[in-house]
Amino acid sequence: MSSSARTLARLLLPALLASGIPRVASAQPAPVVGTGHQLVAPKPLVAPKAVYPAEAQARGEEGSVTVLADLDETGAVRAVSIAVSSGVEALDDSALEAARKWRFSPALDDGKPIESQLRIPFHFHHVELPPEPVPSLPPAAVAPTPAPAPVTPLPAPPELKPTSPYESSVRGSKDPPSRGASDYHIDVENLSLVPRASAAEILKLAPGILLTNEGGDAHAEQVFLRGFDAREGQDIEFTVDGTPINESGNLHGNGYSDTHFIIPELVQSLRVVEGPFDPRQGNYAVAGSADFHLGLRDKGLTTKFTVGSYGTYRMLLAWAPQHGSPGTFAAVELYQTTGFGQNRDGRRGSAMAQWEGKVGSSDVRLSAQAYIASFHTAGVVRQDDYQAGRIGFYDTYDSRQGEDSQRYSASAEITSHTDHITFRNLLFGIARPLRIRENFTGYALDVQTPLQTPHDQRGDLLDLNVMEGTVGLRGSARLHGKILKQEQELELGYFARGDFVSSTQQRVEAATGHPYQTDADLDSRLGDIGLYADANLRFTRWLALRGGARGDLFTYDVNNHCAVPITGDVSHPTAPVNDVSCLSIENMGAHREPNQRASTVSGALMPRASLLVGPWKSFSASVSAGKGVRSIDPQYITQDVKTPFASVGAYEGGLTYQHRFRDSIDLQVRTVAFYTHVNHDLIFSQTVGRNVLANGTTRIGSASSARFTGAFWDLAANLTYTQAKFDDTGLLVPYVPDLVVRADGALFGDLPWWKDKLHGHALRASLSAGFSYVGPRPLPYGARSNTIATLDGSASIGWWFLDLSVGAQNLTDRKYRLGEYNYVSDFHSTPYPALVPVRHFAAGAPRTVMFTIALNYGGKS
Amino acid sequence: MKRLAFCLLLSACHGSTGSPLVTFSAFAGGPADITTGATFTTGSGYGVALSRAKLHLASAYLNQTVPLSGAQESSCVQAADNVYVGEAFGPLDLDLLSSTLQPFSLPGEGIETLAQTGEVWLTGGAIDALDDTTVILEVAGTATKSGQAWPFTASVTIGNNRAIPVQNPALPGSHPICQQRIVTPIPVELTPTSGGTLTLRIDPRGMFNALEFSTLQPTMGSKGVYVVPDEQGGAGGQLFNGLRSNVGVYDFSFTP
Repeated sequence: MSSSARTLARLLLPALLASGIPRVASAQPAPVVGTGHQLVAPKPLVAPKAVYPAEAQARGEEGSVTVLADLDETGAVRAVSIAVSSGVEALDDSALEAARKWRFSPALDDGKPIESQLRIPFHFHHVELPPEPVPSLPPAAVAPTPAPAPVTPLPAPPELKPTSPYESSVRGSKDPPSRGASDYHIDVENLSLVPRASAAEILKLAPGILLTNEGGDAHAEQVFLRGFDAREGQDIEFTVDGTPINESGNLHGNGYSDTHFIIPELVQSLRVVEGPFDPRQGNYAVAGSADFHLGLRDKGLTTKFTVGSYGTYRMLLAWAPQHGSPGTFAAVELYQTTGFGQNRDGRRGSAMAQWEGKVGSSDVRLSAQAYIASFHTAGVVRQDDYQAGRIGFYDTYDSRQGEDSQRYSASAEITSHTDHITFRNLLFGIARPLRIRENFTGYALDVQTPLQTPHDQRGDLLDLNVMEGTVGLRGSARLHGKILKQEQELELGYFARGDFVSSTQQRVEAATGHPYQTDADLDSRLGDIGLYADANLRFTRWLALRGGARGDLFTYDVNNHCAVPITGDVSHPTAPVNDVSCLSIENMGAHREPNQRASTVSGALMPRASLLVGPWKSFSASVSAGKGVRSIDPQYITQDVKTPFASVGAYEGGLTYQHRFRDSIDLQVRTVAFYTHVNHDLIFSQTVGRNVLANGTTRIGSASSARFTGAFWDLAANLTYTQAKFDDTGLLVPYVPDLVVRADGALFGDLPWWKDKLHGHALRASLSAGFSYVGPRPLPYGARSNTIATLDGSASIGWWFLDLSVGAQNLTDRKYRLGEYNYVSDFHSTPYPALVPVRHFAAGAPRTVMFTIALNYGGKS
Repeated sequence: MKRLAFCLLLSACHGSTGSPLVTFSAFAGGPADITTGATFTTGSGYGVALSRAKLHLASAYLNQTVPLSGAQESSCVQAADNVYVGEAFGPLDLDLLSSTLQPFSLPGEGIETLAQTGEVWLTGGAIDALDDTTVILEVAGTATKSGQAWPFTASVTIGNNRAIPVQNPALPGSHPICQQRIVTPIPVELTPTSGGTLTLRIDPRGMFNALEFSTLQPTMGSKGVYVVPDEQGGAGGQLFNGLRSNVGVYDFSFTP
């Protein structure tokens, strides 16, 4: 190229308020006029986001960086430098690292590629900035300059506006300061390529999490975390962008958390705090907390159609504005399947919409969601029946089992700022109808009583119905200022929630389908108001103390409509035959109504603190301690008796290594050792179909994780080893896995071939895999479960607006037991009642292959 | 180090959740000394020579608890976990005049926990079915006392003929038929272990202790043979009570 042709163009590229939307660019280069040449500005083709350094986040450092980038004739970034510093070295470095990875179409001078220079602003903010209007590139932005003109950083014009259709946000903003090595901020990013059956499976990217489900696709996943059998959420605080998922007062399990309403494509990131170390964590944060952060990466209109094994069909329609925040989207999912084996058919629909933007000077987010699902479930199979050939591995004993689940919610969040204070307030409302039909025991529990008309075993199908309404709000005021030359922070926050729950559980006769007994019938009004203070004190750049305390006040007002389940007065001549439940007549002939109301109130104070040291040469260390609580099931409430909280004390120490190599290779390795004690654990009883109180337990273990990312790969792995024991007996807590290993990996990128023949759009492709290993879990009666080892994988190819992919779960088609349980059941599979405990299992899914075609309109250039 | 790694991978190096589940062999038969002859003297002073003693055995259970007095009046099966520590399923048709043991239909299952009581279930069908006509016990022989002889036969069923009428309308389920079919509590002291053998020996001689043969009446067409009536009262009831005797008839033992 001649020197005259070497033109250095100065461009003011849009203020890129954020990153994270690679491959999204304007469809047409902007022609530039008025220079004597027909100039076309470079256009970003790959725009990876800048990483908000964890230590900078932790220190509350914010700022804007403008990077000056020199592009060669091919559009590659040849050199980068700081044009405008943020004043924070870590942020400047991160912006430089990101800018080096950007790729552009070359600037054109009368159609000829030329060198160019441009500015890329990056903004790092703790509070997410909404997108602003997107003006077109200013004509004066490109000015041919004789080569070899010195590179002169252009000062950012005062009227600089975010100006790009390919802008995105530097997130990390909403997450509060890290609590150390157990505070996982997980960007799903390219690991979304790994096939996952539900949004809940994204949780596996955090160490130590195992998901099982004997209840089917409309039933909450059973979550194991760090030695806790959190059942369907009782020991983990689940939220979606701050809105609670745990259902207080759910009779099936207090804190039941069904995440199936979340459309997987909308999960952008996840914050998992393993342990109660952050004062923001409230009720149920015993093992930890998980907050799903939603957004839609693919701009424009995306449609997906999936067809696969076992009559499975899925349709997705998703939309995100071209120029808006990833937090603005609308998506609808429809799904149906005949399911593998017997009795696993089902259907679901989910719709989620969210808008993020500015109203006046405040940042506003409005969200709404609707979800309906109806599935049959197979339940459990007795191992002895399976081994004797009396039932198949994927069969069912009772085809009446299943779930009907709905969830509707809306929320509004407003964030406003003053010089030193950030105010956030979130208002939410949730309606949640749920019906679960499960039969764990067959025909074992319907024993004859003297008061009943003689009967056979009528069957143990549990029919549980819950209708829950929740309203609540949460908010905080975050103060920050400099003391000791360090940025100090103090956050004062509140949480308030009211739950209005009607729950019934009945047993249904197998022969007729009629309910024959009411186990429970509760109307509960539950309240939880909490206050917290969280300080982020930095003594030096390498030493920070974070923490404070949280107090929660829980109120219960429970009307038990079945307070008298049996008749006591057997001698009374008019005593009714006790074939009915919840009688109005009982003791000694004295009349009483069948209900009993009980109310009580209890408070809990939970101190929490973390000390973070470093980083030094990419290493940092942390120690944390904290207390948490889990509120109790309404069924255990007694008038004026102090509520028996489950209280947890947790302690841990951890080490983190985080480093960026070269331009774009990031490695993060963490390891922690932890100790946790719970004074009242909950263990699920198949006999009563609900969680029952158990004695205190202690857990000791360690968790390690690593994530390795580069320009075309994203690898993650984690390993957790735990021992959980009862304090009084020293016996292992059943069902809790000792060893959980998970690995995810994805390779992705553009293929260099045929681009010229494909209308200028390269082919893109990806390969991904996910591997899970769960060691033998302790089961009741001294037994150990089988191991679980599954491999999932996918491959995709895409061009412009079209993507084709094939994904498979359980690639090796291993016949595995997702859940195993030892208890007494009698499914009439033996000639006489089976009365001793035996092994049962819930079958894991066989190989499931799904083909997907995805079309995007307006989002891919 | 290798051991640690191995332990981590296997994840099963230490710790337990309690007594393990066990599988064992199970057999039933007549008493071991029956070879010395089925001639014996009953508690009522009758000399009895048995020529036939066949029993239809449904199943056997081991409990770790001793039932409280009257507990069996409320239910035949206790639904809670940790009650039953062993079970073995038939059905078996046993010759009680033979000491040869017959295996149960399925291997026994249980928990490695001390059992304190045993249960023997005597039914031909569902334990709650009222109209079962299966012959549970069939015996024949000759009883003698004071120079008089009573050749006899008996066929015992447990169905409507054993139903106990409801005395209190408020307690319609106080005596379900299953109570008549379950022999319990049989004192035992054994702990099932994996690979062991549960043996149930049933001694027909103990069933006749209360039977007053002198009350039997000759039956038409029985050619001088006295037939013990298959009913709840009289000699029929006495034999039935002997069948259900929890002491002296049923003997559980376990060989690890």
